[in-house]
Amino acid sequence: MNPSEQIRAKAKELLDSKTVDCVIGYERSTDGKNARPLFVYSSKDADRLIFDQTCAQDLVRYLLNRKDKVTGIVVKPCDSRAINLLLNEHQIQRDKVYIIGIACSGVAKTDWNKTSDKLRDACQICQQHKLVVYDFLVGEAKAEPAAEAYPDIKSMEEKSPGERRAFWEEQFSRCIRCYACRQVCPGCYCSECFVERLDPLWVGIRIAPGENEMWNTMRAFHLAGRCIGCNACELVCPVNIPLSLLNRKLEKDVQTLFKFQSGIDADAPPPFAAFQKDEKLGVAE
Amino acid sequence: MNKFISKKDLLSWLGKLRETRRLIAPTRVEDLTLFKEVSRVEDIVFDYQNTDLPPKQFLFPATETIFSIEKKDGRVELVPAKVEKETVIFGVRPCDAKGILTLGMPFLEEPGDPLFREHREKTILVGISCLTACPECFCASMGSAPDDPSGMDIMLTGVKDGYLIQVLTDKGKALMPDSLLSSVDTPKPPAPQVSTVPSKGITEKMRQAFDDPYWGRVADRCLHCNVCSYVCPTCYCFDVRDYGGKNKTERVRSWESCQSPGFSKIAGGYDPRANKGTRMRQRFAHKLLYFPEHFGTMHCIGCGRCVRACPVNIDIREIIQDVQKLGVKEK
Repeated sequence: MNPSEQIRAKAKELLDSKTVDCVIGYERSTDGKNARPLFVYSSKDADRLIFDQTCAQDLVRYLLNRKDKVTGIVVKPCDSRAINLLLNEHQIQRDKVYIIGIACSGVAKTDWNKTSDKLRDACQICQQHKLVVYDFLVGEAKAEPAAEAYPDIKSMEEKSPGERRAFWEEQFSRCIRCYACRQVCPGCYCSECFVERLDPLWVGIRIAPGENEMWNTMRAFHLAGRCIGCNACELVCPVNIPLSLLNRKLEKDVQTLFKFQSGIDADAPPPFAAFQKDEKLGVAE
Repeated sequence: MNKFISKKDLLSWLGKLRETRRLIAPTRVEDLTLFKEVSRVEDIVFDYQNTDLPPKQFLFPATETIFSIEKKDGRVELVPAKVEKETVIFGVRPCDAKGILTLGMPFLEEPGDPLFREHREKTILVGISCLTACPECFCASMGSAPDDPSGMDIMLTGVKDGYLIQVLTDKGKALMPDSLLSSVDTPKPPAPQVSTVPSKGITEKMRQAFDDPYWGRVADRCLHCNVCSYVCPTCYCFDVRDYGGKNKTERVRSWESCQSPGFSKIAGGYDPRANKGTRMRQRFAHKLLYFPEHFGTMHCIGCGRCVRACPVNIDIREIIQDVQKLGVKEK
């Protein structure tokens, strides 16, 4: 059986046995080329489920809307870290989620009405070819982790602060503050986002350079030590801002400073919620 | 006989306009095509089907000051915002010109929005008709067409070495010197076939579908970001905030969207559209039911941008098809 058939069979079994109330997976989009999320409530709809190189979205975020029901979900290795993040932060319960894990060798760089064989940038430097948590495994992982995790971050770090500033000012000048990056992020689940808070007012409503920068950098800081590198934010950005350069820079720093990577271990205390006696302020060593 | 302008003359005409006006045209930014103010006509791109964002932002900016309150010599004065420069938007497609007409309906209806009116009066639209259609365009189902000049001051149609030109309004005539135009017997190229959606009778169907559980099901996958509203040429919701300073306070408006979670929250914290289904229904009901009821025209012009931009493929063409079928028993 190919991955799509395995997922369909498992989804039917889970729905018919009432193990889960719904299975979240992928189906073909209306362009006939890409994939979109699909919520399957009845086994008669399970045949719409697919899995192939176009299934890029991270679906874990949807679990936050379904906390009280048992949900089956199709999860790639990078997305599986999002499950651990939400377990770690007590946002979901393990026994309410049935994880159909996919051994993934990377998904393709796709866009509306366009497909390609080329892997997404994030997949080309992927370190996470193994699922960190799952209940049922589909397929077998073939690819090995990429040689280097942060080649793009390192080349950003080599630029001067002035060059980096100019780069981000240019990028954020396009931002239209649609908040798609936040809405798709499994780590962005505050009931009231700082950007919408009126009292105290952190950031105003202007869709303009200063506040665009404030919005994007504050969101990145809120994800420091929490971002699981799924790059869903970059995927959904309508004006192609390379948000992964920002979020993964902080991921890299947290890894260097605290030897911690979010979403790998659901029980490891997150660095900003734990304190060790010998911890020092400033960059260690 | 048709009027003709060569590409060379067109570019030098645009270059001349730029000296006294703000010239907005499609440009390439990374791998996007965006309307931007151009300082050199060489930056204008011509090989695009449609821009990734509509020209809406030049009539209804993403952020603008509506007025300011200034303290001067012990007196307090209200200073309305002014539109300084005339703007020429070059390269709008027929759908976008129609979009600007549609966007104007709520803003220009009495008593009207003075700032929008001023933007509109000081804007000249030079459009280019479509010779190819994107697969996700459906302008023909929304009262427009790939060669529809509605809303434009000047419309161009690409032919060999230049454009057939229609100067449609007095504003256009004042701007385009006859000396640049010649008469040719080149025929107008045929308009491309555009895909259609079953929009006939959709308004009545939308009313019937108001309480259908369908909306909740579609909304399952909606992320409730604002992408669809912000790439839409006709969405016009905004939020207002005061930015206070020592001697000057500005009242600013910025785009907002009915899809964002707190959009309809009212004093006391109650939100009549707290769940995703009701927010999703609001967007489509506004486009296909409330706006047509009030203004007699659809609040969608079939440009297909929301279809292309939605991260989870909420596709208005599919919604229209589905709503048409709601309540009809499957045989």
